[in-house]
Amino acid sequence: MAKRLAERLGRVVNIRPGEAALAVLFFLYFFLVTAPFNIIKSIRDASYLDELGARSLPYAYATAILIGAVVSLHSRLQARVSRKTLLLWSLAFFAATTALFGGLFAWSMAVGGGFRKWLPLPFYLWVNVFTVVLVTQFWFCVNDVFNPREAKRLIGFFGSGGILGGIAGGLVTGLLARPLRTSGLLFVSAGLLLACMAVVGLLFREQRRLGEPGPAGGPGADAATASKIGFGSCWDAVRADSYLKLLAAVVFVGGVVSTLIDWEAKTVIADKVLSGRRTEFFGMLNAGLLVLAFLFQLVLTSRVIDRFGLRRGLMIYPVLLLLGAGGIALAPALAVAVVLKGADKALSYSISQSARELLYIPVPQSLKYRAKAFIDMFVNRFSRVAGAMLLFALFLPFGGDSKKAWLWVIGLTGAAIIAWIVLNLRIGRAYVQTIKDQLGRTWERGDEVVGGEIDVETAKLIVDALESKSRSSTLYALHLFELLRSGRMTPEVGGLLAMGVSDAAAPTRNPMWESDEVPWMPDLAEALPAEVLDRNIREIMALPDYRALMGDYARRISDDPAAASLTAKMELAKAAGLMGPDAPAALSLVDLLREDSPEVIRYAAASAGTLGKREFVAPLVAKLGDPRTREDARSALEEYGARIVGTLGDYLADPTTSEEIRREIAAILAPIATQSAADELLDQLRGGAGDLEADVIDGLDRIRVRSPEVVFPADVIEPMILKHAAAARAEKTSADPLILFKLIGLLYPHEDVFRAYRSYGKGTKDDIAYAVELLDEMLPRDLKEKIIPVLESADA
Amino acid sequence: MVINKRDKNSVAIFDIEGELKRSDIADVTLHQLVKDELDLGKRHILLNFDRVQFIDSFGVGEILASYISTHNLGGRLKLARISKKLYLIFQVTMLTKVLDIFEDEEAALHSFLKG
Repeated sequence: MAKRLAERLGRVVNIRPGEAALAVLFFLYFFLVTAPFNIIKSIRDASYLDELGARSLPYAYATAILIGAVVSLHSRLQARVSRKTLLLWSLAFFAATTALFGGLFAWSMAVGGGFRKWLPLPFYLWVNVFTVVLVTQFWFCVNDVFNPREAKRLIGFFGSGGILGGIAGGLVTGLLARPLRTSGLLFVSAGLLLACMAVVGLLFREQRRLGEPGPAGGPGADAATASKIGFGSCWDAVRADSYLKLLAAVVFVGGVVSTLIDWEAKTVIADKVLSGRRTEFFGMLNAGLLVLAFLFQLVLTSRVIDRFGLRRGLMIYPVLLLLGAGGIALAPALAVAVVLKGADKALSYSISQSARELLYIPVPQSLKYRAKAFIDMFVNRFSRVAGAMLLFALFLPFGGDSKKAWLWVIGLTGAAIIAWIVLNLRIGRAYVQTIKDQLGRTWERGDEVVGGEIDVETAKLIVDALESKSRSSTLYALHLFELLRSGRMTPEVGGLLAMGVSDAAAPTRNPMWESDEVPWMPDLAEALPAEVLDRNIREIMALPDYRALMGDYARRISDDPAAASLTAKMELAKAAGLMGPDAPAALSLVDLLREDSPEVIRYAAASAGTLGKREFVAPLVAKLGDPRTREDARSALEEYGARIVGTLGDYLADPTTSEEIRREIAAILAPIATQSAADELLDQLRGGAGDLEADVIDGLDRIRVRSPEVVFPADVIEPMILKHAAAARAEKTSADPLILFKLIGLLYPHEDVFRAYRSYGKGTKDDIAYAVELLDEMLPRDLKEKIIPVLESADA
Repeated sequence: MVINKRDKNSVAIFDIEGELKRSDIADVTLHQLVKDELDLGKRHILLNFDRVQFIDSFGVGEILASYISTHNLGGRLKLARISKKLYLIFQVTMLTKVLDIFEDEEAALHSFLKG
């Protein structure tokens, strides 16, 4: 039966396996809260207008100020008892008090007089408390159970349960108001609340059956803790958080608008509908409005939010109200009042409520329930008080019946709606930021982390220096000079190099360089500051006689490479880097770069990178193909920077270049990170990179991180995104979607995309949901329709 | 700077004293003195740096110029008793590959005999 239910439900709602029972229970829960509420609300409005009149409505609105005490009490109870206990006891309380009011209304009809006249006022207050507590508790439960993605999918369905309940309540009121009278209707409402208790019990049982952590609560909280969780604590929770303050402002201004519109509509209704017929009228009106709301909620709410995003979804309600308020200003007829009231309620109960509840979901648990209690219970109700105060303020100079007061209310409503629209824009942006904050730290590339923590170049230089000690005093001296010159010869490095002195067998032909001698470096370093040494050496190397001598020496090695020792070649290769690009000896690097020895290449490549001559590029590229020399050649070519991007691009595009070399070139273009480097890689994607695609995309990703100003054309990247999403969908694999995220990160804020990736990688249902929610808010419709299903299939 | 010349075993030995730097050029430079000896037919030149306190790139240039001049005539120029600082510089500039450098005069003189 459960399977059949899921299948039938799946035709209308985007429901996942295992969710059907829970979704239906939430539907029924909401139905059985709003059905009695709408019966009671119709009685509230009708009895108040009958006994006290429209002009005294602001007094009724003002009773909302007492909601603060309700918030305080509710928060204390919330901390002290489990969610289940709180819900069941609340429902029991309201069932009992509904029945009590049923009795009181029956008695008031019998006794008449002042009791009958004034009973609607406390009843109005009690109905406010009813709404605030039971509806808010329902949404607490939703927040406990569903993550943002689940809520977005299902809110349309179980939200429509609330609207259907409202329709049913309205119809019952409209059809049965005369035969059952007020008291009878209230007894029916009490019965519905008792049924709701049963549904809530089943809901908690279903949660246990699914093995999910149940709706939260605070059993066992001690009296001291519970006493601290009051109105003040809830207010502090909201005040301390900018997102919650904004949310409170949205709810407040929305409430003021709703109050003003309610007064406008009821003023027209009271004028046009006879006393004694108003209960029926309100019953049928509420039912009719809610049919609209139900259709909207079931069919459109989730689809609208899914298609246009939450931010645009938030704008629909206030924009349509602005149009409605304009309509009633021009023509205050009953039909217009009904349409305005209808728009207010239909949208309020459907998309507006749903969107607002979604705004709570990413709020951290530690804040959520206190904030929700404060905002939904107190701020929402206090906004009615504020609306009432504004009405009083306008009645004072003009009188409640005057045309001038009417026009001022209309004007004020328009201004309030505009303010509300602005706040909705801001909260939409803040929602996305709150999702990002939930995702925590961004993802970092390993090479960036290592580079940030370790001075790789110094480490290499020290290792090379130590190694060269046993090979050649000249090489060793060259390394020391490099360390001194670059300011890396710290006392610690000097000590490290000195430690191995006695162990080194330093073959020299001059006893001046005895290996067991205490190294002269410390005193030498004092006597010869690095800048002085550097200057001296550079001046010597610039001498024409020096260049001639060393040029001859280099030529002797090049002309007969077999005769020269490996050490001699290494020394020459190392020293060439110091001599300047035009030195004759430096030109010997072209030959040295063709050597087979990886040790010679290590020094020759480093010097070639330093000197940066074009002649060295081709031999360096050739060395990319040898795994022994690849890293040295790559480092050297990276030093050339943007100058050789074109040349590297030629090699990349040349199909005769080996695949290993082309891979390395893609990796070299990444740290160069200029627009032209990115363009070379993008050309590869345009033309079809084949087996190189992953390397090219990785290179583009690294460029994106280093140079955020580089532009990646959407007409190249978007087809790649769609291609990879389609491939993942077709293969139905759970492979790492890193490449998809890298591509998305090229077009959209990289840090945000990789926060989402990091969260996604954790693999839990909620982490995936938050990651997907962020992408859902970030991506345009055509991309998210293809990408989101692929990512969500991971948590299915 | 003071440069004194003496001969020993057909080697012209130049004892250099003071600072070999561009701001302290004597009337006659080291290179000129070496060339004068070469003109006299000497082909073995030894530069003794025992009492040299300071040498800058100009000084090194003089040494190199002297070496080239000697070498071009088939002779040999060697160095003795250079400081560790200067030796480091010669090592970094790879001049130790070209110049023969000795710790003491006797070893240097002996090397001329070996060929």
